[in-house]
Amino acid sequence: MGLVENGKLPGPLTTLLNISRKYSLWVYQWGLACCAIEMGAAFASPRYDVMRLGVIPFPASPRQADLVVISGTVTDKMAPAVRRLYEQMPEPKYVISMGSCANCGGPYWDSYSVTKGVDQIIPVDVYVPGCPPRPEALLEGIVLLQERIASEDMTDRWNRDPIVVT
Amino acid sequence: MNTEASAQQLSYIENQASDARVNIELETEGMTLNLGPQHPATHGTLRIIVRLDGEQVVSAEPVMGYMHRGYEKLTEVRTYPQVTTLVNRIDWLGSFANEVPFILAAERLMEVEAPARAQWIRTALFELSRIANVVLFLGDMAVQLGATTPVFYAFRDREFVLNQIESVTGGRFHPNFDRIGGVKDDLPKGWIQETKDVLVRINSFCEEMEDLVVGNEIFQTRTRGIGIIPADTGLAYGLSGANIRSSGVDWDLRRDGGVGLIHDQLDWKVWTHPDGDSFARYWVRLQEVRESCKMVGQILDGIPSGPIMAKVPRIIKVPPGEAYVETENPLGIMGYYIISKGDLVPYRVKIRSASFNNVSITPWVLKGVYVPDVISILASLYFILGDIDR
Amino acid sequence: MSSPDTNAEEIVEESTEPQEELIVDDKREAFVDSITQDLGSSFIDSHIDPEIDVWIRVTQEAWSETAKILFEKHGMNFFNFLSAIDWKPSPFGREMDAAIDNLDDEVTVETEMEWGVAGGEKRFQMLARVHNPATDMGVNVKADLEGDFPEVDTWTLVYPGANWHEREVMEMFGISFKNHPNMVNLYLPTEFEGHPLRKDFPLLSRRAKPWPGIVDVELMPGESDDETEESGEET
Repeated sequence: MGLVENGKLPGPLTTLLNISRKYSLWVYQWGLACCAIEMGAAFASPRYDVMRLGVIPFPASPRQADLVVISGTVTDKMAPAVRRLYEQMPEPKYVISMGSCANCGGPYWDSYSVTKGVDQIIPVDVYVPGCPPRPEALLEGIVLLQERIASEDMTDRWNRDPIVVT
Repeated sequence: MNTEASAQQLSYIENQASDARVNIELETEGMTLNLGPQHPATHGTLRIIVRLDGEQVVSAEPVMGYMHRGYEKLTEVRTYPQVTTLVNRIDWLGSFANEVPFILAAERLMEVEAPARAQWIRTALFELSRIANVVLFLGDMAVQLGATTPVFYAFRDREFVLNQIESVTGGRFHPNFDRIGGVKDDLPKGWIQETKDVLVRINSFCEEMEDLVVGNEIFQTRTRGIGIIPADTGLAYGLSGANIRSSGVDWDLRRDGGVGLIHDQLDWKVWTHPDGDSFARYWVRLQEVRESCKMVGQILDGIPSGPIMAKVPRIIKVPPGEAYVETENPLGIMGYYIISKGDLVPYRVKIRSASFNNVSITPWVLKGVYVPDVISILASLYFILGDIDR
Repeated sequence: MSSPDTNAEEIVEESTEPQEELIVDDKREAFVDSITQDLGSSFIDSHIDPEIDVWIRVTQEAWSETAKILFEKHGMNFFNFLSAIDWKPSPFGREMDAAIDNLDDEVTVETEMEWGVAGGEKRFQMLARVHNPATDMGVNVKADLEGDFPEVDTWTLVYPGANWHEREVMEMFGISFKNHPNMVNLYLPTEFEGHPLRKDFPLLSRRAKPWPGIVDVELMPGESDDETEESGEET
């Protein structure tokens, strides 16, 4: 993928690679708090069935994952572990911040032990609001992320704004 | 404790003692294994530092605080109605049950009593949240022991319960529905019949689990005789709920506590199991889901009409005093000790959460077991991280 | 312990019917009398909410002995919780709140210490609760602690479940426990400074961004929109 990262790949080939990346997102489940249950409902329940979107929720380790869903409250004690997990993931990597706690601290905005937003530690691609967001909201976030991946130009991957699900 | 169970326990303890005598041929260097803080099968972050001698656990020390959100401090800067929003999130699988003891404690201080219909609605939602909570345990424990299918069934049937909770309260997860002096809204039209249909589904889910998991030979071998907790040890550690009932202690606050809810007007049974092992804990919880279904069914048939809110002032100031109220929540006994100084906010709230005490027994119960049994024991103790760390 | 029926009957027999007027709680009165004799001069005060609850207050020195007596003599074998109370009111009052949440115009900061049930004398007070499942009676135990960083005996020798609770009290209040097996932080990172549940521990986030106040008022059942508009004026 060296060519992709240098931005010297022909357009059609980039499109082809993007489509294949879009439909084989290996997502690492990072269950932190309440949102983990809604994430579990989205990923493991027959009703929401995330696999029909081409998202595979079973990587054995963060080394094999393309996407991580930070689902829940990140505390100051947890923050180094979140950072380390993110560093282990291979490029290109994406982060979905799920729920108010991960977005901004949520109901614990004035707590002494909660990190006010996971974006203080790692870059976030999609913010999914809610406390906790419904599984549909998480799926919407994933779909929006896939749309972005489909039209992604590797050279300017680093100069973009995050998506906010509304 | 009957004789069979104590004989079983004795042989278990003897086995462990003989295993602990290090065999020269199997002698190994000590090793430290770090379980967690993250594991795909858990929703939350508990880390256990396990020191191993070969396959055997020498000592286990949980490291917590990865989910410590400071509830007790935050309640001191929230008004009483705001506190319910916060405490919803302690045990996030049975959220409504978290509000109930807090509201009951505040009501005791204010000397307000909710009208009968409100109490019945409360009890119905309390038991529905127990079903929503424990159903997931029934699937989750199986998945931790290597059977993937039950958790799909659990998520499938849990959705229907969540739908019912949502159609009353407006929230799938965190209803924030209980108010000082009653409940926020009345039941929606058609809810009673829909809920009856859901109860049929949950009952058939219990049948499925009985066949798939409880009757499964592999499951039985992995759980029977594993992680035995004697009743007196469990009590001294403060174990509660199904964990202590599966050690043969016949104690359920819904029957014996007698606060605020209407369980005493219903016909149901407290299940106990003499063994105190992982299997017993699973089995007792399975029966409890069935009992809860029975209770909700009776509530739906007998719910009285009337107002749902007592007369309370618009701005809630709780008179000075102290009150402790505990209820039998899905995970065990949950209590709130409220100290009020007559202000809008509580002066201090001590939250007695069930999982904190339930997990505090792990260093004792994990000593001397084998590594695969650690998973079975932890899964069967059934904790929720928000409930441990608060 | 294994047969449900026998135990159930015992409990039914022992629970007393609440009476209409002048409730006398014999069970709890008898308990308080008995523990007063056991503890002697270490016993300071007690309080009974008839048919509901009972509080006792003991001296700091008798803290661990009380646990032993409760466990061995009164069958209080279920450990409920152990915590502490900081009775010195916060020096900040509720200054970080939005103006609309303050009913009085001025922010009042209390400085006088006022104690709750069963009284008190010092800033820090231990609070623990144990329970007897057989008689279905719980008791709240309090003890005043001397000094700003007090030390008190551990309960872990009687109730092993107190281990984590005492660690929690240590990091939240700065109260240490004699003979505790493992006195290290439970929740917070080791480099954390301060004791959060002390009343003089400020929540710094509230300083940076004060509480916005009530932004949407929920209708109480039976209330019409007009009333909200009226109350909306004051917000």
